[in-house]
Amino acid sequence: MNVVACVQTVLVLLLAPLLPGVINRTKAFFAGRQGPPVLQLYFDLWKLAQKGAVYSRTTTWVFRAGPIVGLAAVLVALFLTPFGKSAAPLAFGGDLILFAYLLGLMRFMTVMAALDTGSSFEGMGASREAFFSMLAEPAFLIGLVAVARVTGSLSLSGMLANVSAETWLRVGPALVLIAAAWMVILLAENSRIPVDDPNTHLELTMIHEVMVLDHGGPDFAAILYGAALKLWVMGALLVSLLIPVHPGVLWKNGLMFLGGMFLLAVGIGVVESIMARLRLARVPQLLMGAMALAALAMMLVLK
Amino acid sequence: MSAGMEFGLVLGVPLIGAALSILLRPPRLVLGVLAAIIGVEILCAGALIWPIVAGVQAQVAWSWFYLDALSAYHLAVMMIIFGLSTVFAGGYFGEEIRRKEIQDWPVRKFAALWCGSLAAMVLVVISNNLGVMWIGIEATTLMTAFLICVHRTRASLEAMWKYLLMCSVGVACAFMGTLLVVASARGIEAGAVHVLLWTQLRDAAPGLNQPVLKLAFIFLLIGYGTKAGLAPMHNWLPDAHSQAPAPVSGMFSGFLLNTALYCIMRYTAILEVATGGSGWSLQILQVFGMLSIGVAAVFILFQEDVKRLLAYHSVEHLGIMALGLGLGGLGAFAALFHVFNHSICKALAFFSAGRMGQIYGTHEMDRMQGMLRVNPVWGLGLLGSLLALIGMAPFALFMSEFQIAMAAMNRSAYVALIVFLAGTGIIFVGALKHAIAMAWGEPKIPVRASAAGWTDILIVAGSLGVLLAVGIWMPECYRNLLWRAAAIAEGKP
Amino acid sequence: MLLDAVFVLLILTNLILLGSSLLSASIRIVAVQGAVLGVLPFLAMAPDRLGRVLFLAVLTVALKGGVFPWLLNRALREVHVRREVAPLVGYSVSLALGIGLLALAFWLGGRIRDIGLGVSVLSLSTALFMMFTGLFLVISRQKALSQVLGFLVLENGIYAFGLLVVVNIHWLIELGVLLDVFVAVFIMGVAIDQISRAFDHMDVDQMNHLKG
Repeated sequence: MNVVACVQTVLVLLLAPLLPGVINRTKAFFAGRQGPPVLQLYFDLWKLAQKGAVYSRTTTWVFRAGPIVGLAAVLVALFLTPFGKSAAPLAFGGDLILFAYLLGLMRFMTVMAALDTGSSFEGMGASREAFFSMLAEPAFLIGLVAVARVTGSLSLSGMLANVSAETWLRVGPALVLIAAAWMVILLAENSRIPVDDPNTHLELTMIHEVMVLDHGGPDFAAILYGAALKLWVMGALLVSLLIPVHPGVLWKNGLMFLGGMFLLAVGIGVVESIMARLRLARVPQLLMGAMALAALAMMLVLK
Repeated sequence: MSAGMEFGLVLGVPLIGAALSILLRPPRLVLGVLAAIIGVEILCAGALIWPIVAGVQAQVAWSWFYLDALSAYHLAVMMIIFGLSTVFAGGYFGEEIRRKEIQDWPVRKFAALWCGSLAAMVLVVISNNLGVMWIGIEATTLMTAFLICVHRTRASLEAMWKYLLMCSVGVACAFMGTLLVVASARGIEAGAVHVLLWTQLRDAAPGLNQPVLKLAFIFLLIGYGTKAGLAPMHNWLPDAHSQAPAPVSGMFSGFLLNTALYCIMRYTAILEVATGGSGWSLQILQVFGMLSIGVAAVFILFQEDVKRLLAYHSVEHLGIMALGLGLGGLGAFAALFHVFNHSICKALAFFSAGRMGQIYGTHEMDRMQGMLRVNPVWGLGLLGSLLALIGMAPFALFMSEFQIAMAAMNRSAYVALIVFLAGTGIIFVGALKHAIAMAWGEPKIPVRASAAGWTDILIVAGSLGVLLAVGIWMPECYRNLLWRAAAIAEGKP
Repeated sequence: MLLDAVFVLLILTNLILLGSSLLSASIRIVAVQGAVLGVLPFLAMAPDRLGRVLFLAVLTVALKGGVFPWLLNRALREVHVRREVAPLVGYSVSLALGIGLLALAFWLGGRIRDIGLGVSVLSLSTALFMMFTGLFLVISRQKALSQVLGFLVLENGIYAFGLLVVVNIHWLIELGVLLDVFVAVFIMGVAIDQISRAFDHMDVDQMNHLKG
């Protein structure tokens, strides 16, 4: 484990809550509003961390474990995520499977905690979350496997670092398809429009926000922070895939990567501003479309 | 007269007829002109066919038109069927014009499309170019689609849509097959062989890429098989046959199906030459034949509508032909013999059913009883043709079916034999029940008065007479022609 | 890679078609597909046949990208239907089956290439996938117009296959084939019009008088 990678990871831990801030500012800009400060999430986290938590008597340890295990899982996933073209602190052959499973574990714990409350409202959100991620996960994994196949590496750091201009010339169409599929999944998994609306808790069609209604204080802070990290790790994969050059120099790589992340956040904000949320019945179709894109990419690289 | 000019005439005359049908107005005049045009057409075709019967190997023009024993035979059957149907159509629509059940425009539309589909079928049979052959088949689909709904009812529109869609899709598959055939010639020096010409393709067949060719044949069999009404692609057939006006049904069953089967024969020839007579393509054809016989046997038992009954008979008989072709040798000979027998018999059956339908005002067999008393001529026609269809001796159909059974026996193809005998046996029993009730039962509903004219008597007596005569005695030149045609279909020199 | 991108584009049009419920949108997608097909002759053929390629390309784009959509749009306007309301197979399931068909097409494409056609697997698979998609649409959609679209996609697939695999076909044949397809679509358009007048709709599922 090298020092540079650790420093980079710490940097990510600090920067991750910026992403939602950038997204919100972009949306505010499109709506012609001032918008919340970019650092809003930091303030929220600080405020929540000061508070105590209240637990319903119907809940068990599962409810309390949910946010903590979720945050822990995404933290480990972060240690597997490369920083642009520079390797992650932890990288070994096959870590992409572990990565997918860690995100799965996080989702599982969130769902379990939601079910543990016994509230029908949260159960509804949980079932939707489970159903949609059932469709999103295969697409995500197929994309990962396709990239692994193209680059000949089985670790996240290795394969994303190997994506070069030459790769893009060779299998450009496939990579575009994978990027498109991942973008859809990124939006779906991080409860963004057009799948979910992160702004409101009380609509009957909510998915993610509805599951965490009963959490408060530090638990909710863990959830919010975990969500920001999840957005970061998934975005990092996408950005690393899209950067076609390996700068070699550390600061260039960092600059490119962070710039890419910033652009991605702006991009998400734009998508959220110009699109309406899909009807719930159309969401599986969207995810199935993402799966089709990933599958097509897979077949393109396999042939 | 050169062969090229004759080919031109055979194609051109129906097109002129189509144009005249649209230009002329009075429906009776249109029908008269139609009869005259078909007459001229038959003469032209006769001039083309006769040398082949007399022993000439093939007539060729510009290498795109080609007529050998196989196509000459089919052209002859087509002319006979079109001749019969046109004469009958005159009477059939004449009756409707008299009753004012039909407007001017449908009659003209019928005549134009009739000539158009004749031209398309002629194109299929006389073209040496497999691509043109495909174009002709697709053209028959398009031409005949609106013939089904000359009487525009919901049921006929439904039948037309099914026919149009299924056959278009099927024929598209056949086009894929045609392309694959061309693709199989990749290894052969480009330019040396014009790969779509059947004659050149057959001569070059041993050098073709066999796996690709086999794949092509499967596509072709499914594609043209759809059009030929082979099970399990036969679904459109009962609907289209039952909803079309009787002359059209007769033409459909009498020759449209055979046109598609003819295309398959052209390809079995190439396949057999290419695979060195392995019989691979023939075996597949056998399977489809058996399937068709089986499916028809099951469905015939539950039919209530006489025209649907006849339509399933078509599925059965096309299956018998496919089976016979698949058996090869005597089987192929008998299958080709069966083409003529079935066409004449089925055309007569549809004509009779159509006329009796006009008289009874229904096609339900339960209500069409006592035909022999109501209208002896057409009643006899329906009874006779039904008996012939189910294989009663001594009609010609019995002879050809008997020969196919013999062929199966000779080749020790016992599965085929069992399926064939069981299928025809079931159909015999199932259809005989209907035939007897319809012929001798008591008329249950009041019927319209009708008299049979001399053309009617001629059609019925002529058709049944020919079927009987050919069943008992076969002219030598006919037998020769059939053997030559069978050899071509099997790819033997 | 340019050729690859064209094929991917063609495959994507099929996938969109499988998931699209709006008939007018479907017509537009088929039009795009037809126009993209017009590009294929340039990429797939030898440059020494430029005149022929140009002729084919212009004709293809004009017919498949212009005339067919126009005909279908006219039929659509006359029958006052906007959506494929209740397909036999839902859109998500259609897409899932589409993925399966895609895999099948790639597998078959590989097999066919192996038996001796000198073209890339991707091109063969694309053509096959278009055929499968067309066939699937014909079978699973209830509106007559959707079925015609399916037929067109099937035809497009075969056409693409022909362009890629077969180069030395007489131009008369190609002309005849295009003419046949044109007439087929025209007649189907007329048929849809007549059906909608007789039935007050163009749902094929209510065409159930003829059975057995």
